[in-house]
Amino acid sequence: MKHSRRLANSVVLVVLLLFASTQNAHAYVDPGTGSYIIQLIIAGLVGVAFAIRIYWGKIKALFSRPSGNGQETGDDNQ
Amino acid sequence: MTTNRGSLPGSFRDPSGFLFVQDGSLYRQVNNVYRENYDHLIQSGLYESVTDSGVMIAHEEVGTDLGRTDDAHKIVKPETVPFISYPYEWCFSQLKDAALVTLRIQKTALDSGMTLKDASAYNIQFTNGRPVLIDTLSFDKYREGQPWAAYRQFCQHFLAPLALMSHTDVRLNQLLRTYIDGVPLDLASSLLPFRTRFTFPLLSHIHLHARSQRHFADRTVNISRRKMSRVSFLGLIDNLESAVKKLKWRPDATYWAGYYDDTTYSEDALHQKKQLVAQVLDQMDPKIVWDLGANVGLFSRVASDRGILTISFDVDPACVEQSYVESVEKGETNILPLWLDLTNPSPNIGWSNEERMSLLQRGPADTVLFLALIHHLAISNNLPLGMIADFLDKICTSLVIEFVPKSDPQVQRLLSTREDIFPDYTQQAFENAFGRYFTVQTAAQITHTERNLYLMTRRQA
Repeated sequence: MKHSRRLANSVVLVVLLLFASTQNAHAYVDPGTGSYIIQLIIAGLVGVAFAIRIYWGKIKALFSRPSGNGQETGDDNQ
Repeated sequence: MTTNRGSLPGSFRDPSGFLFVQDGSLYRQVNNVYRENYDHLIQSGLYESVTDSGVMIAHEEVGTDLGRTDDAHKIVKPETVPFISYPYEWCFSQLKDAALVTLRIQKTALDSGMTLKDASAYNIQFTNGRPVLIDTLSFDKYREGQPWAAYRQFCQHFLAPLALMSHTDVRLNQLLRTYIDGVPLDLASSLLPFRTRFTFPLLSHIHLHARSQRHFADRTVNISRRKMSRVSFLGLIDNLESAVKKLKWRPDATYWAGYYDDTTYSEDALHQKKQLVAQVLDQMDPKIVWDLGANVGLFSRVASDRGILTISFDVDPACVEQSYVESVEKGETNILPLWLDLTNPSPNIGWSNEERMSLLQRGPADTVLFLALIHHLAISNNLPLGMIADFLDKICTSLVIEFVPKSDPQVQRLLSTREDIFPDYTQQAFENAFGRYFTVQTAAQITHTERNLYLMTRRQA
């Protein structure tokens, strides 16, 4: 799961890299814009993963309690 | 060494305020332009949170009478950092811990509606053995949608050098000595091995980041419409944190790191040498000791265990790493291991050659330990004894120095592969050369060796 997510992320970025041609690149100019843009792209990707992780944790917590109670009930039945 | 308004040369870039020295004490002026941010830092509880948890230096507000210019909002007196060190003097784990503390502060700041506007490695110093943020004016109020202003700087000051140290060569942290604003990402990208393109954090934050910088270098982009959500911001910081945590460096068994296992000292001699050092330290009662050629800090700890602040310098990154890791594990607060080539000590660098101090500018130390080192300088590096004495005269008031004669097995080892062009390397010549600068207080021979340990004090103290 973790690996496939990492792979998917990498694939997306490699595609982006292909679009980011370096023709006409000028050295000695402000690198700020490029840093800004790549930050938005990366943050967009990892932000989704981060949100899923947080909400998945919350959802799991929501369901783990009833199932935990269920086990207790099962024990009681025995 | 101050500018025309009296500010210190390391603090001129930020219009929010500056550092200055008054009557021997360090102060920080907070300018009116920074008022809103400073007040939010204090009122939101962020200041208390980061100082209580020991990740930022505390300060005391003093009256604005001391203000150097008319637009002083506050004058604060920060806690003193007893010894300033720089990222090109840190071992891998020191730089890594400095990176992690920066990200931790950023996360805490966001909870209080603030963000770090810079992520300079020079804003971190080691006090009591741990990294702390020393720039109180690094925080700006967070506006929903804004990206992390310090992202590029974090990558250049921390992620790129750490990745290079971990994946290419640990000595590449020395690039920080050349590039004052961190390692350029295109350079890092070209020096990192190809396999680092297959890990998401390094592919994105370094390789693609460098490509993106080049791609947009000559393009104008309207960035005002592009926003970054708070979740994305948190995700970015979280991703950088896991990227830094994953980077590892384990020193190989280097020549020096195994020194005490493979040394000419017997147990008795080592014990006696420790006792001698302890005695002279008790006699001299220094506040700060520099241990030069400290190896993994065996003798540094004789000083630091006595509560003396001890800067433990060595040329071998593996030794510094080992010593730092030990200091963290044991919770030691008085020892700071640093990486230094004594034959080429840190120079003063940056704008006007004044932003970062040279080693000499950070001295003198009360006492210098110079143990089992002189033969390496005199024989391996062809340094005349008089020049070594002259240098030591500049950096200490008292000196604990071990003379290792030519008959010693370690010196014989050094001479085995080179012609002996050192007829003047004798104990008498050593005493004469050092006698010009120092007065010998005590001298003792180390058991089972022909080595002698001297306590000397500076003539012009």
